[in-house]
Amino acid sequence: MPPPPPPSRRTFLQLTGLSAASVALGVSAPASADATPGRPVPSGAFALGVGSGDPRPDGFVLWTRLAPDPLAADGHGGMRVDRVPVQYEVAEDERFRRVVRRGLALAMAELAHAVHPEVSGLRPECEYFYRFRAGNEISPVGRTKTLPVHGSRFSFATASCQAWYHGYFPAYRDIARRAPDAVFFLGDYIYEYGIVAGGNLWRQGVSVAPEHEVEIETLEQYRLRYSLFKTDPDLQAAHAVAPWLNSWDDHEVQNNYGADNSIYGVPPELFVHRRAVAYRAFYENLPIGLGSLPKGPDTQVYRRYDVGSLARLNLLDNRQYRDPVPVDDADQQSEKRTILGAQQEQWLYDGLRRSRATWNVLAGGVVLTAITDDRIEQWDGYPANRRRLLAAMRDAAGPSVMLTGDIHRHVAAELKADFADPDSPTVGVELVCSSIGSDGDGADTDRYAKDWLQHPYVKFYNARRGYVHTTLTRSELTAEFVNFPYIEADANAEPRVVASFRSPADSPRLEAL
Amino acid sequence: MNRPPAITHLTGSGQISSITLDWKPVSWATVADHYAVYVLNAGSFELLGKTVYPHFVHRGLGFTGVPRTYRVVTVDAAGNRSKPSAPAAATNLTSVTVSGVPVATVGAFDGKGSELALSPNGYASYPTRFPSDVDYTFGTSTPAADWSYLLPGPADRWAESKSHRARFRFELAAVPEQDLDLALWLIDSHASLAGSAVLSVNGTEVERLTFANGATKGSLIADSTYPGSPLKPSYLEKPLPRSLFRAGQNVLELFKDNGSWIAYDALGIYARE
Repeated sequence: MPPPPPPSRRTFLQLTGLSAASVALGVSAPASADATPGRPVPSGAFALGVGSGDPRPDGFVLWTRLAPDPLAADGHGGMRVDRVPVQYEVAEDERFRRVVRRGLALAMAELAHAVHPEVSGLRPECEYFYRFRAGNEISPVGRTKTLPVHGSRFSFATASCQAWYHGYFPAYRDIARRAPDAVFFLGDYIYEYGIVAGGNLWRQGVSVAPEHEVEIETLEQYRLRYSLFKTDPDLQAAHAVAPWLNSWDDHEVQNNYGADNSIYGVPPELFVHRRAVAYRAFYENLPIGLGSLPKGPDTQVYRRYDVGSLARLNLLDNRQYRDPVPVDDADQQSEKRTILGAQQEQWLYDGLRRSRATWNVLAGGVVLTAITDDRIEQWDGYPANRRRLLAAMRDAAGPSVMLTGDIHRHVAAELKADFADPDSPTVGVELVCSSIGSDGDGADTDRYAKDWLQHPYVKFYNARRGYVHTTLTRSELTAEFVNFPYIEADANAEPRVVASFRSPADSPRLEAL
Repeated sequence: MNRPPAITHLTGSGQISSITLDWKPVSWATVADHYAVYVLNAGSFELLGKTVYPHFVHRGLGFTGVPRTYRVVTVDAAGNRSKPSAPAAATNLTSVTVSGVPVATVGAFDGKGSELALSPNGYASYPTRFPSDVDYTFGTSTPAADWSYLLPGPADRWAESKSHRARFRFELAAVPEQDLDLALWLIDSHASLAGSAVLSVNGTEVERLTFANGATKGSLIADSTYPGSPLKPSYLEKPLPRSLFRAGQNVLELFKDNGSWIAYDALGIYARE
């Protein structure tokens, strides 16, 4: 009797319970796939580090990208076009004596040899350790944590705006030391600008090759820019210490873009091609789930996580669906105007209305608090959308916590139901984190401070680099604003807690500690 | 290797100093890293540049028309390369500054605005230096004193957010026997609000000139020619019917009632040989 014919690829995948997409996109591999690469994996393949993200009570997404030569100009990190099997292990202990999951994913050139294994079936609110192996190469060990089912305490850091060329990242060194339960990244993970010595290259003691000196546009250039930023050891350490929740702002594509509109005169029918490769590189280089893989120029990065009943986390996309820059005041004041887009607005309001969590956390992008009408890039440019969101916050059972970045300044503000009425209820607080690197050393104050501090609901302003560390409990929120005296000279500046606030869960407001 | 598809419908069109290529991109089913654009040079195709857009402008071609042949290769996300597209040919236009005879000019057609008033960065002084806007007489006025390097528009707060005009006066001994040509070269313009201006000759409106968006750097930098200059120069050349002109003094006017500033390289009236 002749042997049966081998199963077709589709049949084989069905038998293994895997989708073709998950195999092709570096999430998994057929159970029988050979873990041995077809040729030796170059040494130093894990030069871009490891990470985890999108945590759930029973798992998370793991990430790494094989790149033995991270700054190879073609954006492929020194890898050839072959598929490379990447093994991963998840353990309860740092020495991997209690391994609870093992798996395999295929790293492919189509995704710059990034893998995004999705691990499930784990215990809630537990610390786990993970590592990868490709051929004889073994990655650094990462630490991550599942979300709780109930939850009594949840700590996180917020970070944004990491212009590598403006300085070092001592903030990430400190975040790695504190090992929070999660890290929110709120946008501007990369910048698209050319990096020019004597111009914007303020990080002392480094130089860049000519391919970094131009504004990026192609997929290979976006990949290379992520690689350049990710060579920073403190950024890698922060990725390896906690699950990240990545949102984005404009510089992941181009300064001040919105939807398919470039402010630099690129017509929309052309600009979508740039958006497509920029979104692709975002997915490839960050620990986010397959649901955020772009389809052409479109993707969905707004998403939600529940930290038990302690907090509902809403990651927002304030770029992909926003209306264009207003043409006049009437346009700016239009009731139809939206920064989130109709679908995301409805999703968010539904989520707030149904939430029974103690805290509703909203994260990503630009400042919500009313500051000045000419700050049209922020929610100030979308006042009707802000009114709708504040109404939804007011109607929600629990107070809201808005986490934003963008402005390269620390700001703490109370969210008023009506910013024009100082006596209106406070519906939540906004914690704006300064930049990790953008704008270099900075100073404690600057010429913009008066715009912000003119408002009674703005409680704090600081113009140095840093991050915010926040802890949520059933009864209160505490937030520490951490900054650094310098970042341009080296990565060794010591952290300073420059302000601390408390907000009671039953009466949201900012009380200085 | 799985080759991605090649692009189709490659076309080229010539402008002054540049050739613009357009093509139909591959479908979204192919994740394109970029398109590699090649130009035929001495019998072989050389890489000219890479772009993510189905559009490419070959710049810096000089001011005398030269035919060129192009083709495009698709490079996908895995680094695979398509077969080359079918070739397309195009020729850049010859400028009237090459083919014509100068009648009256202000500034040198050299990619720099440094010989003009307020250059390279004195725009804030425009309202006090030119309270009645620019009124320049060829043969009498001097570029360094009388022709502002920028022509502001109503979008410019530093120029009082209003429309501005530039008048250029020159003598003709007689009505020309053939049409004349205008050459208006810019070293740069505002990146998103270059806008437009109304062109008039002797009080007759000729047409509205629309300016290409630049890089918003020409208000601070005067030279578009050095390697790596961030400026985005552009070139406008228009025929001017002979019936517009008269013997004696003639006045050409640019009325910038739309958008933001433009930064001059030079302006000139040319006769045809």
